[in-house]
Amino acid sequence: MEGQKLQGMVVRRVEKELYEVFIGPQHPGSGHMRIIVRLDGDVIVEADPDIGYVHRTMEKLSEVREWLKPIPLLERMTIIDACNITVPYVNALEKLMDKSPPPRASYLRVLLCEINRVASHLYGFGIFGVFLGHSTMYMWAFGDREVFVELAEILTGARLTHSYPIPGGVRRDMPQDFPEMARRAVRYMRGRLEEYRRIFVDNPVIVKRLEGVGVISRNKAAELGIVGPNVRASGIRYDVRLAEPYEVYDELDFEIPVFEEGDALARTWVRVEEIKQSLSIIEQAVDWLERHKGEPIIPKEDYDKLPKLHREVYEKTGRVKLLPAHATMKIPAGKAIARGEMGRGEIIYYVESDGGTTPYRVRVVTPSARNAIVFKYIVPGHRLMDLPAIYGSIDYFPPEADR
Amino acid sequence: MVLETILYLIAYPPLWQVLILGFVGALLVAMVAIWFERKAAARVQRRIGPYWASPRLGGFMIIVADMIRYVTQQVIIPTTVDKIAFLLTPVAVLVVTILPLAFIPLSPHELYWPVASMEYSLLIALALTTLPPLLTVVLGWASSNKFSVIGSLRESYVITAYELVAVLAILAPAASTLSFNIVYIVEAQQPVKWLAILNPLAFLAAFLAVLMSTSAFPFEIPESEHEVVAGPYTEYSGILYALNMGGGYIRRFIYAIIIALVFLGGWAPYTPGLDPFTGFIIPSLIVLVKASIVVLVMSFLRAVYGRYRLDQALDAAWRLALPLALLGLGWSIILAYMNLI
Repeated sequence: MEGQKLQGMVVRRVEKELYEVFIGPQHPGSGHMRIIVRLDGDVIVEADPDIGYVHRTMEKLSEVREWLKPIPLLERMTIIDACNITVPYVNALEKLMDKSPPPRASYLRVLLCEINRVASHLYGFGIFGVFLGHSTMYMWAFGDREVFVELAEILTGARLTHSYPIPGGVRRDMPQDFPEMARRAVRYMRGRLEEYRRIFVDNPVIVKRLEGVGVISRNKAAELGIVGPNVRASGIRYDVRLAEPYEVYDELDFEIPVFEEGDALARTWVRVEEIKQSLSIIEQAVDWLERHKGEPIIPKEDYDKLPKLHREVYEKTGRVKLLPAHATMKIPAGKAIARGEMGRGEIIYYVESDGGTTPYRVRVVTPSARNAIVFKYIVPGHRLMDLPAIYGSIDYFPPEADR
Repeated sequence: MVLETILYLIAYPPLWQVLILGFVGALLVAMVAIWFERKAAARVQRRIGPYWASPRLGGFMIIVADMIRYVTQQVIIPTTVDKIAFLLTPVAVLVVTILPLAFIPLSPHELYWPVASMEYSLLIALALTTLPPLLTVVLGWASSNKFSVIGSLRESYVITAYELVAVLAILAPAASTLSFNIVYIVEAQQPVKWLAILNPLAFLAAFLAVLMSTSAFPFEIPESEHEVVAGPYTEYSGILYALNMGGGYIRRFIYAIIIALVFLGGWAPYTPGLDPFTGFIIPSLIVLVKASIVVLVMSFLRAVYGRYRLDQALDAAWRLALPLALLGLGWSIILAYMNLI
């Protein structure tokens, strides 16, 4: 029987010395997943991530919806990072349609993407804090995330599910007083990051918990195909915004923070530095948008098709009212791949069209799906109490991985 | 005659101390400590904390509401547990936790002591404080749940490391005053020769050890939620869970009373009179206030620190706290030798 493989099952010999603990899915420290941990004393011998508890058939559902409708659907994968996850899908559609957004729309997308990135990192910090028993970090991060969620709401009208980008543009222009608010939020967050450093990142207890824990070496990171801040903490300079700039990232001035250590502490620092870079991008985007007031946010050919009433609304309020024709539009047959950098790493879309009103195939590879493998290969050898530290530091988000 | 007997019974100090102070006082202090912990943490975390249950009392009634909930909640007894141990241990924990109060004098007068002699009170009280963790181990074992067992195991690791430190550090005052009598130790500290000032090493070691052995932050390891759910208490619900949780706070409070007496000068600098008011109520209130400050400082640490890893905490115990306690003990002996106290 030993080693025999049944369909979808692995038969294992019961080891007397090992203690098997099922962490999750109904466990305060697991999220929507289960980690089967086999312990020898306090040391983890084997960790088996059992994912798929929140699988929502996103890819299949996308095939039965008209081209625009997967946008609000796919957002639900990572509801805290909604713009970053939809921009590459829209980019793929634009490639198929051979359409490109006007620069102002592109800047607005980038602006929202970076607001999302800050909010998403803060969410990760909050969860990380509570995993390490640091309730103050949890409350602070979630409280300060509210600033950016509100900013997104002022910009798009929705706190989380913005559905902001559409093929060829965005759905709304920014309000008049938005730049001032964004600058205030940026100033506030810069001050708060210093306080975060004092209470959390430089806290002796936290440093002791994170230093040298969950080390992913440079080679290992490349071999496992880990993405996002996790790979950048292992000394690999890989960021889609740098490798294959999309939108207007090549016009902006920002750095990709890279750390060499590859441990949980380095991953934390990467996120702190990334928040700083995102804040700077938000400032630059807002400056650009202020300098280029009144430029269009949808392509000219789309504007020309709008009826008079829709044009008036667009010119007065900056809102794009879509025509019913948009919902049932046909996209020329073809295949397109688009990539983007989410808060948690690289997201890849493969979109195939057969010329109909719905996608023929939408394939999504999300960063969390690629990072989940860390549990299997990095966790063994650590102590049980390191599991939350590693989990929190890779910022794993189960719904995103399960799609 | 009957009236006198009843009066005597009502005014009987042991009754007062163990029942009124022990149960009611400890319960009240536990409630205030929990409330303060939530309120102080909320202030640090830029929240309001408990509020709507009673806006004028700063939301204190939420704790009362919580207790009502615990009392009226269904107690679920899983089929796999060892029923007798499962049901009796939480009660035993509470009783054993309060027991040291019987050997803690809150006044210099024999009339107001819970037991007739205070000759070895510090030793006995300390010995009794080391009992509840053993029952916690029983608790986890009786639950027959993997998380409970891991939690109990952690608890047993922790007590082997920290009870020694706690006992050594808290016995340091006995070494410098050459007596196990708490009353004598307190009187020797009059008016401000407090041992926390004279012997900060032992005080620090005692503080650390109490934090650890009552699993307060940053050493909240046996109940660490993100690996072992609620540790030994995972299977408990309702009133039994409340007993366990309250037991922890009460234990911390009793340690705090001992620390207040032997390190913070007890009722010093006040000189108690003879009548019940100046002889018992005022000195005991002074001790309670000092103990409450110690408890509140411990509660406040929750807002500042995360939790250590088990092996790091044990490492800190053997490498840092134990030498610190031994140094404190040595310093006490020097204090006694040089007649500084």
